[in-house]
Amino acid sequence: MSLTVKSLRALRCLWRGWRCLSSQGGAMNVFDRSMKRRQKQWASSLLDSDKYDYIRDEVGSRLADRVYDVSRTFPLALDVGCGKSHIAEHLSKDIVERLFLTDISDSSLIHQVLKPDCVFIGAMVGSETLYELRCSLQLAELEREGGFAPHISPYTAVTDLGNLLGQAGFKMLTVDIDEVQVHYPGMLEVMSDLQGMGESNCAWNRKSLLHRDTILAAAAIYKEMYGNEDGSVPATFQILYMIGWKPHESQAKPAKRGSANVSFADLSKISKLQTDHQKTNEKP
Amino acid sequence: MSSSNVWTRSRARMKLFPELLAQCSGEAAAYGKCVASTTTGKQELTKNMCVKEFEALKSCFQSAVIFFYKKVKS
Repeated sequence: MSLTVKSLRALRCLWRGWRCLSSQGGAMNVFDRSMKRRQKQWASSLLDSDKYDYIRDEVGSRLADRVYDVSRTFPLALDVGCGKSHIAEHLSKDIVERLFLTDISDSSLIHQVLKPDCVFIGAMVGSETLYELRCSLQLAELEREGGFAPHISPYTAVTDLGNLLGQAGFKMLTVDIDEVQVHYPGMLEVMSDLQGMGESNCAWNRKSLLHRDTILAAAAIYKEMYGNEDGSVPATFQILYMIGWKPHESQAKPAKRGSANVSFADLSKISKLQTDHQKTNEKP
Repeated sequence: MSSSNVWTRSRARMKLFPELLAQCSGEAAAYGKCVASTTTGKQELTKNMCVKEFEALKSCFQSAVIFFYKKVKS
């Protein structure tokens, strides 16, 4: 990388007053956000852009399900990273009275905006996403070029999500995993659909070149290693859904040390306790 | 498409890729099997370990391209 690019990036950081030089919050600058903004704008300018919405529609409806699961009405909600508002179309006015939508906005907004005892429900792609594409490209580059560079963004592991939410100050965390598998005719269709969704790689460490030989090799490997009987290839999207609550006094807190009145040793007697309980209930 | 630039032309070329690769499914499967076998075996995958299978695949692919453009011209 040339000196000019590095110094430009440092200037941009200083100008925005962004946290990449200070260690406040430990935020890492992994993604080129201006590149991502350009990719998303290009994707939305396509004539057939709604052809690529299937993943976002699915995740939006599953996330709206989780909003309904929280037994509360929300006078005001904020949708960060809304895209084409895939969540809004599934919400109704009784649950969410007013909804604001934003995209590529400053994520520190969440903490300032969220009132105490309010919920943050999110969805992110997990580490198993597109592992077939990642492995095929890796093997092809190893065999053809002798080394490999990352072509897929780094994704969050489930185990890290708990830490991330805890560090952000949320309590009573719930994390669950959903896997959506989509079948495509081949590797190139996977890649062109990702491009159409505006999800091309924008990490700073991305390699800007993919050789023709490597593409050919990777397509062959993908089909051979992961292909189905009917000739299609699967692509996995692992979505992590997380729910976190801003702390408030009314929420359940962990009990004080030493306040336990039942011992773990009694766990072995739990089946006996259950049968005793049943007997007392069966007595007329 | 209003304008024809290098990006639209290269994207149009890439759209032909799956159709051309489908004509070389045998060679592609052989190359894929060669690479997949290294993942299970003890030896690690190094450069040009499956070069024979890849050269067969590449020449099949190139002849498919020539055949396609001959058909388009006529």
